[in-house]
Amino acid sequence: MKSLNLAASDRGRINALLSVDDTIALIRAGALLAIAGRKAALDQLPAGQWIGGTTPYFMTAEGGEIIDDTRLFVTDFSGLGSVRVASYGIDHLHQISEDAPDNGFALAIIPFQSPVHERFAKESGSYPQAFLKPTVGWIAGFDLGEAGASAFVYDGQSATRHGNHAVVLHVDLPAGQYPSVEIVNIFEADGVETIQFDEATFSPSSVLVNGEKRCFVDYVKARGLDGGQLPLVGDYGGARINASIRAVEADKVQLYAPVFPGIDYAFAGAVPDYVGAFGESFAAHPHDGAIWSCNCILNFLFGELEGKDIGGCAGPVTFGEIAYSLVNQTLVQVRAA
Amino acid sequence: MALPPKNAPCWLKLANGGMKSLRTSNLGAQMLSQRLELSKLPAPQKAEEVYAFFVKWERGLTNEIAQLSGL
Repeated sequence: MKSLNLAASDRGRINALLSVDDTIALIRAGALLAIAGRKAALDQLPAGQWIGGTTPYFMTAEGGEIIDDTRLFVTDFSGLGSVRVASYGIDHLHQISEDAPDNGFALAIIPFQSPVHERFAKESGSYPQAFLKPTVGWIAGFDLGEAGASAFVYDGQSATRHGNHAVVLHVDLPAGQYPSVEIVNIFEADGVETIQFDEATFSPSSVLVNGEKRCFVDYVKARGLDGGQLPLVGDYGGARINASIRAVEADKVQLYAPVFPGIDYAFAGAVPDYVGAFGESFAAHPHDGAIWSCNCILNFLFGELEGKDIGGCAGPVTFGEIAYSLVNQTLVQVRAA
Repeated sequence: MALPPKNAPCWLKLANGGMKSLRTSNLGAQMLSQRLELSKLPAPQKAEEVYAFFVKWERGLTNEIAQLSGL
């Protein structure tokens, strides 16, 4: 790995894996950064203008990678406009979109399985400014091979680690540009049955299938979908928004995102060529002015993306993605249009 | 095509279910459409929200704005 030239004019816009030492040098040079990696690496970083979150999984220009604690994934927002670091507790999450700049977006990182995660997932779609001042971002995770691991986010201003906060970069774009939030979702409803839920929950126990109430566990097992590869696809005014299966328990199904009443869901149809479908869908979207992206851990695992390039996108692989609100099994991209 | 003024009837039509008939691939417009459908707010308040959305994102909504006269 080459050492960085830290002269701002030579730095370009970094969106790549760097050594911990280079990341520390960037922070000390005053760069405005979003950083992702393992806890042992993030814990070494000094205070500065950055936010961070834990995950060892990444998409890079060369393909999917699982990193150790000697490297970090760094996205440099310096030179993009005005950028500000903020941190929000559970009772102030609605302020993320309120505080976001008029001509920009909020990039949020939230720890998986925290009360903040649950609250944001259930409420973010109803925040008054949600569609006027967009929030994008990701849910921090951990190495799935590490028993008992937890997800954390970092407020770089104080270099502190948090298990129940949202950390945010408020990115104010230059005049003449605006943020365009886009998703790449390879899944489509299978058209077999319409599925509805009667409460907003991460763990539904019952479901309406074509209007008939059924035990959701029994339904998922009867459909042979308890492996979790295929998400529920919700119809949000024509947008396909996924909620993915995390675990099928004795009496309920645990999801990575909540389902909501009033939304028509269906299970996704099978995707025989995961990598091919991703590459095709990704290529169909514009990428001019791309600032930031993330992709889902389930796409990484089920698509076996380690070592595979899906079109040159680079960013953290996450335990949930944020595009206005929480989505699953989806690539999120924000561009300066 | 210019954005219709705030008092144009299209905003109320959009708030009263017209968003569903817009042909759009704009993620924000699609998700806002769903939120409005489930919202119990009075229609004029929803219309204000739709208008504010179109004002804010006018540059990226040229295809959608072209459809407003046909609502």
